[in-house]
Amino acid sequence: MPLIRKDPAGTSAKPAAPAADLLTRGAVDERWSAARAVGDEPGAVERLALALASETEPRVREAILTNLVRRDTDAAVMAIAPQIRSDDAARRSAALDALRAMPLRLQKRLPELVSDPDPDVRLLSVDLARGLNASDATSLILDLLERETEVNVCAAAIDALAETGDERALPGLSKCASRFPDEAFLQFAIRAAASRLAASASD
Amino acid sequence: MADPGGKRVLVIDDASLVRLYYREALEQAGFHVEEAMNGLEALEKLLGEPADLLIVDVNMPQMDGFSFLKALRRLDPPLSATPALVTSTEARPEDLAAARAAGANFYLVKPVPPASLVEHVALMCGPPE
Amino acid sequence: MADFPQVTPEEFRRLCDFLYRRTGMVFGETKRYYVERRINERMAATGAASFPSYFARLRSDVRGEVEQFINAFTVNETYFYREDHQFQCLTRDILPERIRTKRRGDSLRIWSAPCSTGEEPYSIAMWLLDNWDMVDAYDIEIVGSDIDTDALKAAEAGVFRKRALMRLPPAVVEKYFATQDNEEWTILDDLRQSVRFTAVNIVEPAETRTQGKFDVIFCRNVLIYFDDASRRLAAENLYESLAPGGFICLGHSESMSRISPLFEVRRYADAIVYQRPLEGAHG
Repeated sequence: MPLIRKDPAGTSAKPAAPAADLLTRGAVDERWSAARAVGDEPGAVERLALALASETEPRVREAILTNLVRRDTDAAVMAIAPQIRSDDAARRSAALDALRAMPLRLQKRLPELVSDPDPDVRLLSVDLARGLNASDATSLILDLLERETEVNVCAAAIDALAETGDERALPGLSKCASRFPDEAFLQFAIRAAASRLAASASD
Repeated sequence: MADPGGKRVLVIDDASLVRLYYREALEQAGFHVEEAMNGLEALEKLLGEPADLLIVDVNMPQMDGFSFLKALRRLDPPLSATPALVTSTEARPEDLAAARAAGANFYLVKPVPPASLVEHVALMCGPPE
Repeated sequence: MADFPQVTPEEFRRLCDFLYRRTGMVFGETKRYYVERRINERMAATGAASFPSYFARLRSDVRGEVEQFINAFTVNETYFYREDHQFQCLTRDILPERIRTKRRGDSLRIWSAPCSTGEEPYSIAMWLLDNWDMVDAYDIEIVGSDIDTDALKAAEAGVFRKRALMRLPPAVVEKYFATQDNEEWTILDDLRQSVRFTAVNIVEPAETRTQGKFDVIFCRNVLIYFDDASRRLAAENLYESLAPGGFICLGHSESMSRISPLFEVRRYADAIVYQRPLEGAHG
């Protein structure tokens, strides 16, 4: 029978230890392997952060981010967070996905991120609150909503609240509605969010 | 449930309330609406069933709007030629250029008024039926 | 059977959004009935009074409700020829594409990871023997790996309860299995020896690297259970374990969100599968 095999055919060859600069100077596959291989040597997070800032190949970027995510440390969160400010949508999205994979670490930095002077950063960060439990998400987002002046940031906050919040958000949503009487989408969103939150509360 | 002969619009945005907002406006105008929360889910859904028009937001997890459009354009026709309307909270020149380069037909700034949305959708894919 | 809960279209969509974010599972309109049945089952099991309260419970993952919910879809018991449309795709499209750059006698390596108690890799072996006219032309190697060494021992023993054979055509059972009591069925020795079983945790690169490179990997209905960090690692390891141009098959409701952006999607008549790009291809 053609399928009979007994002896192992797999090799156990490990990739050769990458030279220090393969992480930034090698070909795509070399950079990818190098990103995966960065271990616990001193300065590892800094090296990864630097590589992340200049890497343009999506899968190498992902490998760098995965290596940081795996550490699940404050330093890792700090290395990734600046990428949220990038002009490149793919880069921003990749960074946010990586941060989402570290919910407990992220929790400490979220209040800071949702108060950033840049409305784009606030808008993207408030989405990260979806990973929190209902009570923490509600507090964080309500805080933001109270002082937020940008319509799109409010919209993002209301959406996150609708998904993750609880009925304590209802008064805050009302207040937001009265602050933006002429914003059709916000009025719609607040109504929809309020009815969802009320429905979950009624049991 | 919309008439199966109607035009299908796939709304791709990670905010469920935005999708709901568009859905209500488009369904009222007679379009059949499907939803996806990011570019990856959109690709999976399109491979199962094509759409007549895509409304694609830029900022989405896992696959942003531009990456999605580039991936779409690499698939086989006619799927790759599906017209796309991009929505974004910004309108910087580099974003408009990026949208054009990724094959978008129109670019609308959020929040998009329902009437404007319906108007653009009707323009891009003809009347609902 | 109780009436279905009143799940509005919007609530249904929000559940699908949640499942997609959390597990990568995609449900189209065609699966709606199937999903609603599961909702009904879980609501009864948890004593939830309404869909909104069940959904709140699901979202907070009270007592591992997410896993319970997913389990209802993956049907934890495995059986032979499960999701066989992918095996159809294997012989109709995937293997023909792989052999385009191979010569007769070259090796073709297929990995079932995780393989649990062996139904999947044995299914692949039987399917190839019965359905692929080129099965003799190549040196085919099938490897089944799992983190559960008890499952691997059972797989190697090759003895199955009748239930596991329920999807097999009688002719296939006749050809590849023997039984004394009609309850326990033993797989033919030749077939049993055609699959190699190894202990591997797909999240650990040191372990996946020991298995070499594969032409096709079946990794079905497991990534949906992983958290983001583990899922990222597993996807990278699987990518590394694939030869350039190699293919990976996920479970039928799983989407590439579990393994992107490493892989390209390929749609065939029988299945959607994912491919590691060939060298020199874009991105």
